[in-house]
Amino acid sequence: MRLATLVMCSLAAGAQFAGSGFDIAAPAGLDFRHSNSPTSHKHLIAAMGGGVALLDYDNDGLLDIFFVNGGELTESLPAREFFARSTPKYWNRLYRQNRDGSFTDVTKAAGLSASSNANYGMGVAAADYDNDGHTDLYVTSYGRNVLYRNTGKGSFTDATPRAGVGTATGWSTSAGFFDYDKDGWLDLFVARYMEWSLGSSHWCGSALRVYCPPATFPAVANLLYRNRGDGTFEDVSASSGIGALRGRALGVAFADADDDGYPDIFVANDGMEQFLFHNNRNGTFTERAVDAGAALSDDGKPVSGMGVDFRDYDNDGRPDILVTTLSRQKYALYHNDGAGIFSYRSLESGVAALSAIHSGWGAGFADLDNDGWKDLLVAQGHVMDNVEKIDPSLRSQEPPLIAMNRGGRFERAAGPALPAVAGRGLAFGDLDNDGAIDAVMSVLGGPPIVFHNRGGGGRWLTLSLRGGRSNRDGFGARVFVNGQRQDAGAAGSYLSSNDKRLHFGLGSAAPVKVEIRWPSGVVQRLDNVTANQILGVAEPEAR
Amino acid sequence: MLASLLTILLAAQSLPPEVVKHVVAGTTAQREGRYEEAIVEFTRVTVLAPELAAAHVNLGSAYLRKGDYAAAVKPLRRALDLNPGLIGAHQMLGFALLASGYSVEAIPHLEKAESADGLGIALFKAGRLIEAVVRLHAALEKRPNDPDLLYYLGQASGMLSKQSLDSLQAGHPAAARTHQLNGELNAIQRKLPEAEKAYREALRIRPELPGVHLQLGEVYASAGQWDKAEVEFRSEARARPGDAEAVYRLGHALLEQGKVKAARAELERADGLVPAMPETLYDLGKACLMDGDLASAEKHWRALLAIEKETQLAAQAHFGLAGLYRQQGQAEKVDAAMREYRRLRTR
Repeated sequence: MRLATLVMCSLAAGAQFAGSGFDIAAPAGLDFRHSNSPTSHKHLIAAMGGGVALLDYDNDGLLDIFFVNGGELTESLPAREFFARSTPKYWNRLYRQNRDGSFTDVTKAAGLSASSNANYGMGVAAADYDNDGHTDLYVTSYGRNVLYRNTGKGSFTDATPRAGVGTATGWSTSAGFFDYDKDGWLDLFVARYMEWSLGSSHWCGSALRVYCPPATFPAVANLLYRNRGDGTFEDVSASSGIGALRGRALGVAFADADDDGYPDIFVANDGMEQFLFHNNRNGTFTERAVDAGAALSDDGKPVSGMGVDFRDYDNDGRPDILVTTLSRQKYALYHNDGAGIFSYRSLESGVAALSAIHSGWGAGFADLDNDGWKDLLVAQGHVMDNVEKIDPSLRSQEPPLIAMNRGGRFERAAGPALPAVAGRGLAFGDLDNDGAIDAVMSVLGGPPIVFHNRGGGGRWLTLSLRGGRSNRDGFGARVFVNGQRQDAGAAGSYLSSNDKRLHFGLGSAAPVKVEIRWPSGVVQRLDNVTANQILGVAEPEAR
Repeated sequence: MLASLLTILLAAQSLPPEVVKHVVAGTTAQREGRYEEAIVEFTRVTVLAPELAAAHVNLGSAYLRKGDYAAAVKPLRRALDLNPGLIGAHQMLGFALLASGYSVEAIPHLEKAESADGLGIALFKAGRLIEAVVRLHAALEKRPNDPDLLYYLGQASGMLSKQSLDSLQAGHPAAARTHQLNGELNAIQRKLPEAEKAYREALRIRPELPGVHLQLGEVYASAGQWDKAEVEFRSEARARPGDAEAVYRLGHALLEQGKVKAARAELERADGLVPAMPETLYDLGKACLMDGDLASAEKHWRALLAIEKETQLAAQAHFGLAGLYRQQGQAEKVDAAMREYRRLRTR
């Protein structure tokens, strides 16, 4: 077994983590402001955007931030399929992180300012789809989705036409790269929301105009593109079975739910049953969320699935599923009982009590205090910007939820109140490489919030995988660290893309035992790994 | 009405042939739904035999059939002038007046006709709410589930309730009950902080006031503040240990917080106080499942399904059973439970 290590950083853990131990002051240079252009017509797209990605686009070892912007909507009727994306106010934005923690807007230099005026931006997926060592971007929209190939020279080019991943029209939301057929090339799943257009858009309510509920518009099928490995993709939505079902998808995440070695797909659907696509290991999928017990609430009611994470929260070695929902539904936590069966654990875990009247979007399990248990951070705010007039007990702007995991049960983090905002996208990653997971949350129609984690008391280990026979990013690798598990990948949350490195809090454990089950089948074991470092791990050549 | 028709037909035997001809024509036309024609014929009869009370009754009846209530009043009044003992005419006149908006005038006629339903409605319209409730209750005993009667009973009861509460608020603005009432009104409008404040004030004045802790708990529950709801439900349950609802609410609040064992204990207590309450059985099933006691969970949900077979709660119980059987690996039972769940859900 060959062990390639690259110690990039080794810092002593900070002071005892005191609940919401975040600084949320905006870093210098990060001047993005999301522009959603709400109008009196209550076009639904104006309520739903805000993708954010954490990626190291220039391979300097520091995470950069990419924001997806909305577009211009006007009061004039009929609405046009024109969103003024050539106006800088509506550009997507890429911010390069500088050595001092400040950021520089490199959007134009990176070639990312030219969003088509026909696109209203939604989400983003970041990964190295062509295995060239540079992280690429796939941006979803209402309109045309765009694949930006990273040239490796600080810029991106629109590779959409050649790659063939721009076939989706209408409204795409979250997207994610994963290697479903384990051929070493990352494939692409695109979640789609509904059959909606500016032409068919209308508001609901009578005296008070509100955004229409999703069931007002027809459901639509998701898309799956298989990476041929030559820079092009094949639309396998139909042949894979993914396209056979219509849903109202907002979130997507991947993990090997049943430990058969192949990644499965969980799709958060709005106002209907959730989807769990089981990978049949032959290029097809079977939807079995109902049979698996991960489709509905504990009362058998559909939930408004928005964000999702597919990660082991209770350290039993099996990936669980969290689905954020609208208020009064309770976020759904499906515990993986093994053998592909899930049970609803929102009540026992404390998630129900924490989320009872809140509306969640981007979300993720991450060990915020490095105690060895993944905590929970959720972007919140009701979808209706005037919900207070309908139900004074609800809020369109809410503080994000930070909940600490105490042995599998979540408790609201202590600390000062966080600002109430219309949170949407949320991406996790260690911005300053100090071993404490940070997060960036997009805010609908406003500036983002950067959660700079001041750190907890525990030890940590961050793994940066480099696939060989497997895809270069190592996505799909099942990684076990001192018994904890994470499946490598960047997808999840809502419209967003996480740091692809894998972070583990270790508590007080000193010797670290690592096992990586690469998608290729190679199993790599590392013993006595030093804690408090970012460790680069390359996939061995042989089993 | 049939009686009056027979009366006029019998009377017709001693009437001139021309009158009889119009009586027969009018009767035939009315029977066949040609009310305009019946009205013409019966009007002719009232002209030819103006002292014949039954002729005016039939004309009024024709107007009623046609739906012209205001026009029915005059001939029916004339009939009763001629023969005040015509009970059928009183009933028809009462309905005609009521339908024309003259509820006060309708009341004596409906009283004479002993028409509980019409009288109840007339009394309600006349603002005599207590009497209206009594009469409508009596009418419902004869015609249970009649939508009109249920509607008016609801309206009358509601207004009666409002009258009492208005009097309470006006006469005793600082009373604990008034604050309790204000709490209820704010809670209905989802003005939760205001409701909380009002309930707190009620409890400050009368700490023992029954039901206020329960209501305050409900306010917290609707705001998702289950920990605070638990405190209030516990206070209510402690003060009134025989109150099954308070104990059930406490169990539910505990369940929502994932305090499984405590929730189960309270729900079992509630079930002991008032056995076979579907909501309690459903939550008990959930608590037992979460507690790992699958056999008890199944027992409680089965007990619920023995009581409720076609409701939303029944659907939820089937769904819960499916999850339970899934944990046990009993695929056939899972399928059967899911079939029932889907059947009920699509209804």
